[in-house]
Amino acid sequence: MHTLREGRLKTDMTTSVHRTQSSRQTPAPVLLAFALMIIWLVLPLVPIVVWSFAKRWFFPDLVPGEWSLQAWQYLFSPVSGLGKAISASLAIAIPVTLLSCCIGIPAGRALACYNFRGKRAVQLLVLAPVLVPGIAVITGLHGIMLNLELNNQLAGVIVAHLIPALPYMILVMASTFARFDTEFEAQARTLGANTFQVFTRVTLPAILPGIVIGALFTFLVSWSQYILTLIVGGGRVVTLPLLLFNFVSAGRNDVAGALGVIFILPGLIILIAVARFISGRSGIAELPSRL
Amino acid sequence: MLNVQLCQLRLNKLNPLQALILFFSITLLTPTTVTAASENEFADDSWDEIVAAAKGGEVNWFMWGGSDDINRYVSDFVGGLLKKRYDITLNRVGINDTVEAVNLVLGEKEAGNTDSGSVDLIWINGENFRSMKQGDMAFCGYLDAMPNNALIDWENDSIANDFGVPVDGCEVPWSKAQFAFAYDEKRTDTPPTTIAALIDWVTKNPGRFTYPAPPDFSGSVFVRHVFYHAAGGVKNLLVDFDQALFDEVAAKTWQILNDMKPALWRAGRTYPQSITQLDQMFANSEVDITFSYDPSSVGLKIENGSYPATTKGFVMTDGTIGNTSYTLIPFNSPNKAAAIVLQNLLTSDEAQYQKALPEVWGTMPAIDLSRISDEYKDKFNTLERHPSVVSEAELAEVALPELQSSWITAIEEGWKENVAR
Repeated sequence: MHTLREGRLKTDMTTSVHRTQSSRQTPAPVLLAFALMIIWLVLPLVPIVVWSFAKRWFFPDLVPGEWSLQAWQYLFSPVSGLGKAISASLAIAIPVTLLSCCIGIPAGRALACYNFRGKRAVQLLVLAPVLVPGIAVITGLHGIMLNLELNNQLAGVIVAHLIPALPYMILVMASTFARFDTEFEAQARTLGANTFQVFTRVTLPAILPGIVIGALFTFLVSWSQYILTLIVGGGRVVTLPLLLFNFVSAGRNDVAGALGVIFILPGLIILIAVARFISGRSGIAELPSRL
Repeated sequence: MLNVQLCQLRLNKLNPLQALILFFSITLLTPTTVTAASENEFADDSWDEIVAAAKGGEVNWFMWGGSDDINRYVSDFVGGLLKKRYDITLNRVGINDTVEAVNLVLGEKEAGNTDSGSVDLIWINGENFRSMKQGDMAFCGYLDAMPNNALIDWENDSIANDFGVPVDGCEVPWSKAQFAFAYDEKRTDTPPTTIAALIDWVTKNPGRFTYPAPPDFSGSVFVRHVFYHAAGGVKNLLVDFDQALFDEVAAKTWQILNDMKPALWRAGRTYPQSITQLDQMFANSEVDITFSYDPSSVGLKIENGSYPATTKGFVMTDGTIGNTSYTLIPFNSPNKAAAIVLQNLLTSDEAQYQKALPEVWGTMPAIDLSRISDEYKDKFNTLERHPSVVSEAELAEVALPELQSSWITAIEEGWKENVAR
C-alpha cells in the first residue's frame, strides 16, 4: 500500500483512485483461490499419508491396526512402473501448460479487452469442454487421433489434454485482463518504452498472478486425466492416474494412498514455489515505482 | 473372408458409384487381405515359426490392474519368463474395467484400423467377450498351432462356453473362478449355508447384509443365486431365453428380494454401487457378509490387510456359480505371434501352478490337471490353499453353471424395474 501510494504520486496524478483501487483488488480473488487451493491440497493429505503406511485399518479404529511399508515397497519395485509413469505425466503436463499459456494469454486478452463479431459464440466454445464431460467425446476424439496418427504417443495425449485444460487458462486470463487497464501500456509507450519493454515491464508483471494460477489449473487438469490418456495413449502412454485409479477402484487404500501422496506432490511443490507471485506483493502495485 | 465379401458385393449390384467405392475399398484394404492371409498362416504354421516370428517383439496386455499380487505375478513371473525364453517384452497395461479395452478396439475398428491396433491381449469373459466376438473383433482359429492347447479340455462345457457364448477358438482359458461368500469369525458364529438360510439370516439380523446393485458384476451374480433358488435349481434354466419361464421365476425372485429389503443395510433404500464398496463395508463392520467371484481373493485380502485376519470364506451347499476367464487377441493386434506365445506360456503347467500358489494369487487352474506332466501333477496335489479360502474340493462339489447372457441381461433389467425402485 505504501509503495502503491508513492508510485501513484510519482507517476500520474490523473490516474483515478477508482482505477487504481480496482487494480489493487486483484489479489483478493487470487488470495481466496490460494486459500482454497491450500485447503484442497493439504487437508486430504493427512489421511492419505496415514493410509500409505497402514495395514488392517478398520472402522472404528482411530489408528491403523498395523503399520506396514508394503504399499511403498510395491511402488518402488519395477512392477509398479512408477518411475516411467511420473516421467510420462511430467512430459505431458509441462508441455500442456506451456502450450496453454501460448494460446490462453492472447485468447484471454482478446476476450476481455476487445469486442468482435461472434464473441459470444467464441466464449461459448471456450467453455464447451468444461461443460461437456470428456467421456462424451472420447470416441470421436479417438477416431480423429487415429486418423491423424497421433494415437499411442505422447504428442497425441498432449493435444488431447489441451481440450479440457485450455478453458481454464483462457477463463483465468480473460478475468485477469478484464481487471487490467490497457492505459498502463499506453502510458509506458508515451514514456518511451518499446513493445518488448511494455510487455515485460508493464503487462507481464500485471498479469503474472493470473498466468501462475491459470498455469497451475492447467497443469493439474492435465496431471489428473484418466480416460483421455488411456484411450488416446492406447496403453503406451502410462501416466500416474492410470496407476492410481486402478488401486482406487480396487479399494486398495494403502497403495492408493501412497500413489496419492506422489500424485499431490508436484501441485504442492509448484504452489509453494510460485506462492510469492500470487501473494499480492508483486504485480501492478510495484509497477509505477519501477518505471 | 474380406475378399469373399467384396466379390459378392461386386456380383450382386453394380452402379458406378458403388464401383468407385469398391475400387477404393480394394485399394485401401490391400494390407488387410495380407493380414487375413497371415491369419490363416498361423493355423498351419509350426510352433517354431510362430516363436521365431515373435522373437524380439512386444505384447501389450490389457488387464484389470487393481491387485498388486496379480500385477506382480504378471509383470515379474510371466514377463520374466517371456523375456528370458522368447525375447518378448511384456507391457502390462492396467485398466479399471475390461470394457475400456473393448472400447479401445471398437474405436480403432470404426476408424478403419485393421492391422495396427494398440491392444494385443485382453483378460476377458462374459459380456465383453460377447461384444468382441459378435463385433468381429476377436482373432480366432489358431489354437491348434499352440502346444499347450493340448492341456485344455474343450469337451468341458464350462470351458467351451463363456457365459453361454461358444468360445469357437476365439479365446484361451486362463483361470477358473467360483462365487464364494465370506464372514468374520469374530462377529458371526455360523454363517448361513443355503440361500434359504441366508434369506432367513438377513431377516433375523436386520441391517447386517446387502449386495451391490446390479449390473455390478458381483451383485448381479448374487441376484442370480436367488434366481436359481426361486427356480428350484438351475437345470431348467440352461436353455435359450424363455420369456414365460423367466416371468415365472423372476416374479418369485423379486418377491424374495423385496421381502428382504427392509432388513437390508439402510433398509434397502440404497445399495452399494460396487463390490469394492461392499468389501470395505464388510471390513469396517457395517455389514457381516461379503462375497467375491474369485474365492481366492479372501486369502489375498487378509494378507494385504483389506479384510480382518479372522475372515473366512464359505459356500452355499445348494451351490455357487462358477465361470472361466480367458485371454483374447483382438483382430487388429500387430503382435499376434507374440500374443500367442504369451497365451501358450500362460496355459503351461508351470505358469498355472505359480498362479495357484496361495501367496502368489491362489486362483484355480483352467487347464485339465489330468493332462499335465507328473512333476506338476504332484505339485498341484500337494498344493495348500490359504487356510481361510474354501477348498477346491468343496467348491467343485457345489459348482453351478452360469446362465446365457440373454438371461443375465433380463435379470439385471428386471432387478432395476422391480427391486431397485
